[in-house]
Amino acid sequence: MAKLSAVLALVAFLAPATAVFEDEAFHIDFHYALLGRPKQEATFFQKPYAASKASLLYTVSENGTIGAVNPRDGALVWRSAPGASGRAHLRAGEEQDTVISAVEDRIAAWSASDGRLVWHSRLDNAIAEDLEILEQEDGISTTDAKDAIVLVGHGTNGVKRIDGKSGHVKWTFEDTSGDTPFQVSSSPTTIYYISLHAPLLGGGSKLRVTSLSPITGKKLDSYTLGSEGDVQTKDDILFAGANTAAPVLAWTDKAHKVLKVNIIGTKGVSSFNAPSSEPVDSIVLHAPKKVNSLPHFLVEYRTATGHSAEVYHVDLKKNAVSQAYALPPLQGKGTFATSTSDANVYFTRITSDEVTVVSSVSHSVLGQWLVKGSPALAGAYPVHGVSEVVVKGNSASAVRSAALFSNGQWALIRNNEIAWARPEFLAGTVSAVWVQLPEEESLAHQLEEEHHQDVVSAYIHRVQRHLRDLQHLPAWLQNLPNRILGSVAGKSDESTMEEIQHDTFGFHKLVIAATNKGRLSALDVGSKGRIVWSIDLHQFAPDATFINPSLKAFRGFVEVKDSSLPRSLFVNSTSGRQLSSEEAHGQWVPSQDHETLITYKLSEGTLEGFLGTGSAQPVWNFTPPLGERAISYFARPAKDPVASIGKVLGDRRVLYKYLNPNLVLVAAVAEAGHRASVYLLDSASGQLLHTASHYGVDISRPIPSTLSENWFTYSFTLDSSSSNSSRGYQLVVSELYESPLPDDRGPLGASANSSTVQPRGEAAKPHVISQSFQIPEEISHMTVTQTRQGITSRELIVTLPSSNSIVGIPRGVIDPRRPVGRDATAQEQSEGLVKYAPMIIFDPKWHLNHKYELIGIKDVITSESGLESTSLVFAYGMDIFGTRVAPSFAFDVLGKGFNKVQMLLTVAALFVGVLFVAPLVRRKQINTLWTVPQ
Amino acid sequence: MRSSTAALACLVSVTSAARFILHIPNTPLVNPSSFPSTTHATLQSTGAPLDAYITRSNSFNFHNVSVGSYLATIHSRDYVFEPLRIDVTLEEEVEGSGHQREKVHAWQTFIGNEWDNKGETRGEGGNGLVIDVQPRAPKQYYQERAGFSPVSFLKNPMILMGLFTLIMVFGMPYLMENMDPETKAEFEEMQKKGVMGSGSTQTAQQIQNFDLASWMAGKTETPTRGQSPAPQSQGKKRG
Repeated sequence: MAKLSAVLALVAFLAPATAVFEDEAFHIDFHYALLGRPKQEATFFQKPYAASKASLLYTVSENGTIGAVNPRDGALVWRSAPGASGRAHLRAGEEQDTVISAVEDRIAAWSASDGRLVWHSRLDNAIAEDLEILEQEDGISTTDAKDAIVLVGHGTNGVKRIDGKSGHVKWTFEDTSGDTPFQVSSSPTTIYYISLHAPLLGGGSKLRVTSLSPITGKKLDSYTLGSEGDVQTKDDILFAGANTAAPVLAWTDKAHKVLKVNIIGTKGVSSFNAPSSEPVDSIVLHAPKKVNSLPHFLVEYRTATGHSAEVYHVDLKKNAVSQAYALPPLQGKGTFATSTSDANVYFTRITSDEVTVVSSVSHSVLGQWLVKGSPALAGAYPVHGVSEVVVKGNSASAVRSAALFSNGQWALIRNNEIAWARPEFLAGTVSAVWVQLPEEESLAHQLEEEHHQDVVSAYIHRVQRHLRDLQHLPAWLQNLPNRILGSVAGKSDESTMEEIQHDTFGFHKLVIAATNKGRLSALDVGSKGRIVWSIDLHQFAPDATFINPSLKAFRGFVEVKDSSLPRSLFVNSTSGRQLSSEEAHGQWVPSQDHETLITYKLSEGTLEGFLGTGSAQPVWNFTPPLGERAISYFARPAKDPVASIGKVLGDRRVLYKYLNPNLVLVAAVAEAGHRASVYLLDSASGQLLHTASHYGVDISRPIPSTLSENWFTYSFTLDSSSSNSSRGYQLVVSELYESPLPDDRGPLGASANSSTVQPRGEAAKPHVISQSFQIPEEISHMTVTQTRQGITSRELIVTLPSSNSIVGIPRGVIDPRRPVGRDATAQEQSEGLVKYAPMIIFDPKWHLNHKYELIGIKDVITSESGLESTSLVFAYGMDIFGTRVAPSFAFDVLGKGFNKVQMLLTVAALFVGVLFVAPLVRRKQINTLWTVPQ
Repeated sequence: MRSSTAALACLVSVTSAARFILHIPNTPLVNPSSFPSTTHATLQSTGAPLDAYITRSNSFNFHNVSVGSYLATIHSRDYVFEPLRIDVTLEEEVEGSGHQREKVHAWQTFIGNEWDNKGETRGEGGNGLVIDVQPRAPKQYYQERAGFSPVSFLKNPMILMGLFTLIMVFGMPYLMENMDPETKAEFEEMQKKGVMGSGSTQTAQQIQNFDLASWMAGKTETPTRGQSPAPQSQGKKRG
């Protein structure tokens, strides 16, 4: 075994670094380039530049990412880096080639077609509360870059006008009254600044509207609206019309019974009664965003079971609001979207099975489409949406609406079909685990059953099982010609990829991912991340508000834990059904070598070890020396197969690996001397096995670490203020051996039994060899590939957040036994060692993600596949990425490089050759028999 | 040098801050306008690095950079850039005037080398300095598959050996026939002695009896271990 692994290691190293093949890229891997759930008020269709024929779909998501999506296929055109928070606004002026965003304190203009930055500026000690584009200057549209109006709050309140070309502030209006800023709205001649004025004696807030001159920013007028009884906070205001010809301000009372509307700039308040047939849960106001559109708006009433709407018209001359017509109430949930075409305003009603378009002028239906369902949207209803309508004559000929559905899918409905759906809910993935596929599990279960029966019944059971399997035979035979043709022609057989039954290589593994909003979904990594099922955990725990759910996989089910849950939830991993805890315990099969006994907890710089999951009292705790605090730990995974207990040297002697299943690596930092230390512990005894300290480390940056087999590695950032002779980032690799001498097993070598609980003192500690390397980039997370038997050499997988990539570093490159200061001898070369170089440059060929750009990756998990050569990799965080890697090349499976046609041709050529040569040989044989030797 | 700039950084007030621009020039080889919008530059010193994304004019604008020594890296999906060392210092405008202004100095730097080991200067100046950065090489992510070509097919030693044998089998009889009788007789004599035949048989024998395990264990081949070659060659002669 040792020799085999030595040979494999040799093969792995002699070959150049494993890289992604061009014909496999985009086939064996998948990538969800996500934005996050789009925000309603900042999602719109817009032409990227004035002369453009097609429009793009722009949005800013709940995590502050600005992005543009192609409405045709849902592909991401560009996106910004995620913002600091979801307090983000995005606006685009008409016929502009930029979009302007305000995320927290950053105001930026982006090139609308490619996402390049045009300008950006920061607010001092303040946060942007609202953003508007000044469409018209004195009633005339400008063709130049339009200026932006920013409402500033949380610090120095006020309004700023920002130059659309450069991002410089043209004027600032400071509000010192102490009001809470709410929104800005602009009409062609005036800018309205709406704030909440809280009276001194408590109670509700008054709405204060201040009108400002767009040219100078000087205050023109100010008045308050009596809304004390209804409005307490900003959330109580329904709408403050942005940039419409007749901006309106609307609010409602607590019971959602009366709707109050004010036309901004006037003091009159119109009151309308909400439909009284059913209690209204919420009221949403939809108004067109275009300046020159008709001053019509729609009020949507949402009840517990359905929704209805009323359309209102604003009479500009009389400054009056009147109800025009009402749309019939519908059962089930739905939403409305406004769209404009010239001055006309259209409302699109989107429900889960129907899209209806009406004009704002009359209630006649211009177009109606029954939407064909899609499995991605099964059981979900639209939450909010935007739409574009094409109207010819008196009917709408086409409509497309991008709607966020309640299950977190952002979908585009084109007429009657779902054109695409983006799983935006996955952008908040906080935990993910690997599970086994159902097929494998059911077979394993069947075999287990047979195992426990007596011989006769087990035989009958087996025959029955085979008979049952026979029913798949016709379909399999039918499919056979296609499969053979497909494999000979070298086409990617997508049809068979879908069928998990034919998964002979074990690539189809399910990952269950939990999001911060409490959604649980299963993805098939082998089928390009297809979502097998997706459920809302709130249906099992209605009262819980999930914050950071964590998952643990068991055979057949996953356990969901969250701080808001009183008890763990158990969910079947193949169907997404809930299991009771009794069922879960009934299914739970304790397997000997895949369970960890000790669980760890990091509290206040101390690492505590607990026996089992239930105990509250720590078995041991590890406190680093005074001044240091433990910041992270990494325990050796329970499933970490090791093929060989030793490392074969070039002279055929063996260095025995120090293999201990209870290793824990703890990273600790101290302010003094900018010190970072790592401690290697034995979790069974609590004994300290090895320690290393580094000075001049930037302790504010993460120290990722990992541990596998008999080696561990960690990385840190060097601090600039310390007296380091170098700068940048370092990667340290250490290997543990039983003894520094080859062919020696240390003090434990001769003893038949040993116990980690009764340590044998210093001599039994591992011999550690370390090397450190300079690396060009910061590492945020690291892990190691996993294979079935551990024969294949491992690859260190590191996440590089600044270049948005995941890199697999071959084990041979970070071997700490690389000779320093001299070339490798012939024996060392045969081990695969090369001369030490102080830096490791990440070869582009090591990038697992190749052309994909992975943003916001928090964690990477790896799993074995059915093949020894191949490990599956799944990365999550904001983006979702999955691939498979073969660190020692795919030695046990034919790759795409194997030309089957060529092989068949060779066989045929050989056959023809044999046909020709056979008579020659026969004649020669006869001749030798019959000729007399001389 | 480095510790002195660090000391300076502590002394000066935080308000003094420099601004400069890293710019990718348009060259016939590289068109920076085709770079994706995720291309960005980072300035690393202590704590979270400063970050600037690529603008429409193919540059990275850094504002409010406080005094210190920075490692500048440009991250692009398509190209590799050289790392830079950028020092921001405060210098007196006129000697003894007491009026200080920021100064920016950029050099090449090398990963795995000492920080004081600077390369070529890449720019020097006051506020608003534009430093040109050149992409060094495109990133090649994919591994080429060795495709089929007749030349590489012929280069294969197995094929060459096969071809040689084929020539020998078919070409030898003709060659023998065309030889003059004396040489032919000499050649046949030589064949009988077994110069050619037995030698190759022994090699074949060795290959057949090759002990993989002992080779892996690093044992040196001793001639006594295998079957002695002498009787083998005798037997051959008899035939």
